[in-house]
Amino acid sequence: MPDAISAQGISKTYNGKVRAVENVSFNVEAGVAYGFLGPNGAGKTTTVAMLTAQIAPTAGHAVVDGIDVFANPQDIKRRIGLVFQESTADSDLTGRENLELAAALFGVPRKEVTSRIDSLLDRMQIGDAAERLAKTYSGGMRRRLELAVGIIHSPRVLFLDEPTLGLDPQGRAGFWRYVEELRKDHGMTVFLTTHYLEEADGICERLAIIDHGHIVATGTPSELKDRLGGDVVTVRPIKPDPTLEGVLKGVPGVTSVAVQDGSFRVKAPHGEELIPALVAACERAGVGLAGVSLKRPSLDEVFLEFTGREYREDDSVSATDRAVRVGQVQQAFGRARR
Amino acid sequence: MIRETVALTRRELLRITRNPQAIVTSLLLPILYLVLFGQAFNLENLGSGKIPQAYFLSAFRGAPSYFSYFSAGMTGFVAVTATLFIGANVIFDRLFGVLKRTSATPATPTAIFGSRLIAGSIQPIGLAFLVLGLSILLGHLGLSGLDITASVTAVGAVEILLAIVILSAMFASLFLAVGFSLEQPQTYFAAVNAINLPVLLTSAALYPWGTMPPWFQNVASVNPITLAVNVLRENMFAGATAYYPYGPSIYLLGLFAWALAMFVVATLLARRALAPKR
Repeated sequence: MPDAISAQGISKTYNGKVRAVENVSFNVEAGVAYGFLGPNGAGKTTTVAMLTAQIAPTAGHAVVDGIDVFANPQDIKRRIGLVFQESTADSDLTGRENLELAAALFGVPRKEVTSRIDSLLDRMQIGDAAERLAKTYSGGMRRRLELAVGIIHSPRVLFLDEPTLGLDPQGRAGFWRYVEELRKDHGMTVFLTTHYLEEADGICERLAIIDHGHIVATGTPSELKDRLGGDVVTVRPIKPDPTLEGVLKGVPGVTSVAVQDGSFRVKAPHGEELIPALVAACERAGVGLAGVSLKRPSLDEVFLEFTGREYREDDSVSATDRAVRVGQVQQAFGRARR
Repeated sequence: MIRETVALTRRELLRITRNPQAIVTSLLLPILYLVLFGQAFNLENLGSGKIPQAYFLSAFRGAPSYFSYFSAGMTGFVAVTATLFIGANVIFDRLFGVLKRTSATPATPTAIFGSRLIAGSIQPIGLAFLVLGLSILLGHLGLSGLDITASVTAVGAVEILLAIVILSAMFASLFLAVGFSLEQPQTYFAAVNAINLPVLLTSAALYPWGTMPPWFQNVASVNPITLAVNVLRENMFAGATAYYPYGPSIYLLGLFAWALAMFVVATLLARRALAPKR
């Protein structure tokens, strides 16, 4: 399969100081759902903004649907669909008018406009609200309208930048159902960013984990989980004990032991069967235990493995926000000097 | 690009018609001027009949009364009060992500800017004629009103229409330039206030021409509102042309030069604002 997206060494530095994305390279096969997973501020939105010709990169090269993004920004906008993380539906227009405007801007053939709009309204289940102003829509309806706007011109590559942010679980499930249907029916390549691990796990065929502007791991969700080497048993001693690492490594069936915040992350193919042996080894070594827990391979664990820290959804400020703040500080200082 | 521009212009006009508060606010200031300020300044009554009518005709450049002179000025001023929302819409569209989404489509910066300029140039026409109509109506209600003493020809009507459209286009460009340059609504409205009052107060919209000192006349004669209202006054008042050094077409030309200059500035600023961020 040819690549629908190819990014080679793309970087973005805001205001010459804030490095949002640094030397990121990846390829996305046509027809695949590819996810960028990372916490706020990891560089996900900046990457999407570069690949969709909204911002110019500081360095690198990207090709989307056979078009050089940075050399032909207008061409690329014609070929892709994009749903932003924030709501961008035109509140003062009806659902139908939003779609009519998008159809005109994307150059949908005039004779196809009405049928495409009717079909999309029907598919997104907002046909009954088509003549209502978008400002009266619920969050889920607005998201479905924005998805319809994003695909009105039948793009071959669809970018979804945290499209389910702020939706309730039911709304999120519904949104992804529509995306999955579109992908199957039209063979669309979907590039999505998310910081919901379960979404990334359930939807994406391939994933890249991005942290602090760098890709730290790529693969299918299964591959990434397999790289963990099985289950993770976390052994938490009452008191920190450096000798425990050696004790645990000596238990038959243990693949590896890593120390994190005073706890020991023990990897083993069949974690639950190993727990009695691990507890017994600790008793023999005279180490009191505060707790033992078992985790099956999950993207939480994958994230922890590759970034060295727990995955938290709102643990940092986005690079864009940081750039704006830097700009504001610079402006403030500039004004003070003047 | 034509299809994109038409679609975006339709969107702008739909937004305007669906926002009656903006229309009322656009009309509020000119109407208050007409109903309060204009009614209190019956300057032609000064001197209790001892000042010859010819003096007032000269001071009002052919208008039969101060109100008639002044209401033409307010008709021009509507172009300012109505178009400032076009610039404000840019700010709000940026805040609510609409500008970002539009910029992510193949619509060119020219179409995005041009559609707003077209909507901004069309929108004040109806409002300007509402102010003219109200000015005439006030006269029929026993108040000071607009008295059109000339027979307005077809050419004259077209000149009046052009004056309103070009003045609106000029101010729409100016406010779009401000809107594309600033990000916060409060900064925008502060800037607009800093523009509106000096522009109005250095024009011949309010003051009788004959009472201005020569230096003020020189300043007022190049003010775009003055250029537009000169066209209105020359066409609406019999014998007015005798009080103006040039015919309406020259004032239209001057107005066009202003509009062109503002268009160039606004285009450059809009293109910069809509270009991919570096």
